[in-house]
Amino acid sequence: MNVENWRLKIRRKHNELNSEDLSPVSLTRYSEFSGVKRKRDTLEIDENMSDNSSDFSKRANFSAITSNGINRNLNILNLKPTTTKKIVIKNLKSEPKLPDDFREQTWGKLQEAVLAIQNSRANEYSLEELYKAVENMCIHNMAHTLYNNLHVLIDNHVRRNIEQFLAESMDRFLFLKKMNETWQAHCRQMIMIRNIFLCLDRTYVLHNAQIASIWDMGLELFRQYIMANTLVQTRIVEGLLMLIEKERQGDTVDRTLLKSLLRMLTDLQIYEKAFEEKFLVATERLYAAEGQRLMQELDVPDYLAHVDKRLIEENERVYHYLDANTKPRLIHTVEKQLLTDHVTNILQKGLDGLLEENRLNDLSLLYSLFGRVKNGHTELCTAFNLYIKKRGRTIVIDPEKDKTMVQELLDFKDAMDNIVATCFNKNEKFSNSLKEAFENFINQRTNKPAELIAKFVDSKLRAGNKEATEEELERLLDKIMVLFRFIHGKDVFEAFYKKDLAKRLLVGKSASVDAEKSMLSKLKQECGGGFTSKLEGMFKDMELSKDINVAFKQHLSNTSQELSAIDMTVNILTMGYWPNYPLMNVVLPEEMVKFQEIFSKFYLSKHSGRKLTWQPTLGHCVLRAKFKLGMKELVVSLFQSLVLLLFNSHDELSFDYIKGATNIEDGELRRTLQSLACGRARVLNKIPKGRDVEDNDKFRFNNDFVNKLFRIKINQIQMKETTEEQKATEERVFQDRQYQIDAAIVRIMKMRKTLSHNLLISELYLQLKFPVKPADLKKRIESLIDRDYMERDKDNPNHYNYVA
Amino acid sequence: MKVTIKNWVGVATWKWVANDDNCGICRMPFDGCCPDCKLPGDDCPLVWGQCSHCFHMHCIVKWLQSQQVNQQCPMCRQEWKFNNK
Repeated sequence: MNVENWRLKIRRKHNELNSEDLSPVSLTRYSEFSGVKRKRDTLEIDENMSDNSSDFSKRANFSAITSNGINRNLNILNLKPTTTKKIVIKNLKSEPKLPDDFREQTWGKLQEAVLAIQNSRANEYSLEELYKAVENMCIHNMAHTLYNNLHVLIDNHVRRNIEQFLAESMDRFLFLKKMNETWQAHCRQMIMIRNIFLCLDRTYVLHNAQIASIWDMGLELFRQYIMANTLVQTRIVEGLLMLIEKERQGDTVDRTLLKSLLRMLTDLQIYEKAFEEKFLVATERLYAAEGQRLMQELDVPDYLAHVDKRLIEENERVYHYLDANTKPRLIHTVEKQLLTDHVTNILQKGLDGLLEENRLNDLSLLYSLFGRVKNGHTELCTAFNLYIKKRGRTIVIDPEKDKTMVQELLDFKDAMDNIVATCFNKNEKFSNSLKEAFENFINQRTNKPAELIAKFVDSKLRAGNKEATEEELERLLDKIMVLFRFIHGKDVFEAFYKKDLAKRLLVGKSASVDAEKSMLSKLKQECGGGFTSKLEGMFKDMELSKDINVAFKQHLSNTSQELSAIDMTVNILTMGYWPNYPLMNVVLPEEMVKFQEIFSKFYLSKHSGRKLTWQPTLGHCVLRAKFKLGMKELVVSLFQSLVLLLFNSHDELSFDYIKGATNIEDGELRRTLQSLACGRARVLNKIPKGRDVEDNDKFRFNNDFVNKLFRIKINQIQMKETTEEQKATEERVFQDRQYQIDAAIVRIMKMRKTLSHNLLISELYLQLKFPVKPADLKKRIESLIDRDYMERDKDNPNHYNYVA
Repeated sequence: MKVTIKNWVGVATWKWVANDDNCGICRMPFDGCCPDCKLPGDDCPLVWGQCSHCFHMHCIVKWLQSQQVNQQCPMCRQEWKFNNK
């Protein structure tokens, strides 16, 4: 209806405007520019009309809300604003008065209602009526009395309720149940009562700050009586503790009951005072005992799992029924009793085993649990460090295990890295400690680990080692570099590595030049260019030799000399780079000597001012040998070929003859003969047979030699490295070190001019990167004094002066 | 002939033909190089004077440049002349 009304108005307005031929927008314009009064009038009228219409609609709306049925009629009436009626309000003739017994009567009504609620009886008055009654009393200044009366009523009821618990001595569980029921009922009743007395809450209580609201009054009364009757209070708390303990022992208990009662304590604000303290004490006692007991009974992994379970349980407990504020203290208590007090014990008893067996899950758990404990990670880290040192020492220290040492170290490092990465959260403290521990134990045995690492690398880089692809080899080298980093005596490594590298390069045994180069660049990165300059020089020599050989071949074909068809290649070494080789003069066959001469002449013509020295120990040949069953190619060392060539003119030769004819050093010759006559491929027969070569032995060319291969490599029998060669290498390293010590002493003394013995020694230890004994240092100082680099102070023999 | 050599890989080391172990100027061994170089070899050669003394080339050149008046051998004080034998 009122919408229709609106439309009517608008249409009328439009008609008016259209008659002036103006759109609403241009209308305003028009009035602005020309200021015609008439237009303005229409506008005003318009506004009036719209005001009216909104008035109508308002009224219409209101009537629509109250009663839908009659709005049509009402609107019709309202549509006639012309007939105005005047309403005059006059004072009442007599003031209205309350009935005399209003107070008693109303209260009586309310009291009855409250009692009915408290006793769960049906209420005979409607709630609205009661509400009105309260409202009336509030209006007529009776709020104070009303509040007091209500207070007395609730007081009585609560007291009766609580007192019933005093008398009865029932089962604890029942007691709690009953208590809970009482509390729930109390809450329910108080809500009901508050709703009825809402008016009182909203007016009287709100205006008097010191008076508690009805709900709070109820709580306060409840609290008073519980507090007053300590027996009840303690019974509640004890009952709760009993339930919780039961649950801790694995029984299922009524969690809702617990939650409800604990909420009650919180609401009554006695949770902390009455319950929390005792609860924490009980918790502490329980877990202290449990911690002691289980540490004895269980293995560490089981114990840890148990602790973890306990912590989860306690967290759940907080989540389900305890007050959230208890959580930090509760968890702390559990941690303290189960973990903090047992940290050392756990580490001592279990850590080694866990690491040994690589139990990643348990270790992760251990790490996360120890994270809760103050200093837990530090302790764990220390124990971890100790374990690595102990375990590593067993790998390194035992000479029997030398063969597998490097592989074991690599595996051990891998395992430990894995543990740090997966279990210890990649904690930097742990990885640093890991490094420190490795560095510590690897250097417990001087020189040997460095030597073995060098040999391990050699074995991997040598040709014929097909077990790894390029990438695998690369990764392996990286891992070895990690071990290498820990080693203090890097010069020992260099010496052995150089020796092996020389062998690989000269015999052409190197598996791949790329791998060699990559190893070299790794070493360079690690120790700087000084460390690798000699090694690089070796590679350079090999490359230069290649060029020289090409040129030499050209030279041979140009000069076209009468020579037998020996394909000769020569590796030219720069003395300083390569290991020192013992000089040997052996007798070569004529044709070989000729070749050597030609080559020397050729070389010196290219490089003047040089001298060439031939190294027979390093040469090797491929021989073509004719046996009864066909031709074979023998890959042999130069010494082996010299011996074999002798048999061209004789069938049988004695040891002495061979020795005289070749001039090979005795021990070397014995090994050579052994390799030819007693090895796997026996091209010579020894008479009499036997493993070792004796002075009176005779040798005979084995015409019946059989082998399924065409090309046969006859290995040299290696000198026992453990004895001479190794000693020599170490000796060389020691020599090098002496120069370094000398240099360091002079450097320091030059700077300080005067220094006491002890200070000098300590400075030396800071500068020198390899392990030295103080006695060695003393020797070097003595030697420098002898050579007048420094002198003892005349007054104080413990002081040294630098001599410029 | 039962055995013939098919190919032969020989090894030889080279050394400078010098009348001393160390360079008289830098005191470094002739097997090594002068202090300014990193690698011995053709990049850091030796030279001989007519007085028969021998130095790293870099060393003696540096020495001769530092001499204002006479070009003398630092060992024997004779006039320095390169021996281009």
